[in-house]
Amino acid sequence: MTDAIKLTIPHQKSYYGVVRLVVGGLAARLDLSYESLEDLQLALESLLGNEAYASGDDVTVELSLRPGSIQMLVGPLDGARLRSELAAADGDEEGVSLGRLLATVVGDVRLEERDGGHWVRLEKRTAGSGSSA
Amino acid sequence: MTLSSENDRELLRAYHGRGDLEARERLIEQYLPLVRSLARRYSYRGELLEDLVQVGCIGLIKAIDRFDVDRGVELTTYATPNIIGEIKRHFRDKGWSVRVPRGLQELNVRLSRLIEELTVQLERSPTIPELAKAAGVQEEEVLEALETGQAYATLSLSAPSGGDESDDLDPLESLGEIEHEYEVSEDRAVLAPGLRVLDERERRILQLRFFDGLTQSQIAQQIGISQMHVSRLIRRSLEKIRNEVAADNGGPASQIAQG
Repeated sequence: MTDAIKLTIPHQKSYYGVVRLVVGGLAARLDLSYESLEDLQLALESLLGNEAYASGDDVTVELSLRPGSIQMLVGPLDGARLRSELAAADGDEEGVSLGRLLATVVGDVRLEERDGGHWVRLEKRTAGSGSSA
Repeated sequence: MTLSSENDRELLRAYHGRGDLEARERLIEQYLPLVRSLARRYSYRGELLEDLVQVGCIGLIKAIDRFDVDRGVELTTYATPNIIGEIKRHFRDKGWSVRVPRGLQELNVRLSRLIEELTVQLERSPTIPELAKAAGVQEEEVLEALETGQAYATLSLSAPSGGDESDDLDPLESLGEIEHEYEVSEDRAVLAPGLRVLDERERRILQLRFFDGLTQSQIAQQIGISQMHVSRLIRRSLEKIRNEVAADNGGPASQIAQG
């Protein structure tokens, strides 16, 4: 048995609430703080709530629990657009790019190629029960 | 023209022409039953009827103040959409979806208070089980109530962001580093139109969260609003900018906000 949840939904805003509830359930199980849950949801919302990032009709979210962290893999997404926006995070004092947003709320953000598509891997540290990680 | 509409016109002329505030008062009193009847339509959505009547009165007053006597329409015709508009705006501004059941609204309000209290008490953000215990409900109910609160911020601004199918063959895929940077700066250039939709407080909150690194609870403390409200404002601001920039470009937004 793996501590992982895989969810495939149409890449439409109206389905995002389903993912939010699943993340909430996971946060409750992990004893994550309300603030951490908010961060995770905001990260996912920035990717799933923007249909401009879609590269197909559906999008998959894989949530896996690791010691001291929660990992979220989202894809396939529009690789070219994401590469540009994630790169804009560094030293960009003029705007909140997608990269800056994700780096603020999650921490570790990577763009990966997988099964011929582009996926965003997000990892958030969970410093233990009831922490505000 | 009916007697009452003729009477309205006289009162409106007295108010608009001579600044007769008594005439204005009389008009307001005359149309209170209309406000009350319209407010009643929305009272099942978890708001007190009297509160909605007050809100509706603002719409009525605006209608009276803006009414053009020479336009040839009756005040009732002009005032009705103004009153309804004000009531709907009230629901939007308050952050509630008209579809949220009252029980969940109340739980959401309770949770907002509990988050504040427990954050102070525990000196950290509370967990979902802690919130459930404090509220005396199941964890699932907490999640559902939080979800209903969050959902509104997005739903209220749920204009389609217009995915562009032609992006499947995005030429940027093959661009090098220099061109790539150019693309990024182009993205920044489209920020301005989006930022116009934010008020000063919304900009400040984005600055504090994404540039100064403050947490939602720290921002809540600094601004003097609840953490849940900060969360809603952040979501709403980002969504507003996305929609604005997308509308401005005729396509999807890139940069999300400016500090």
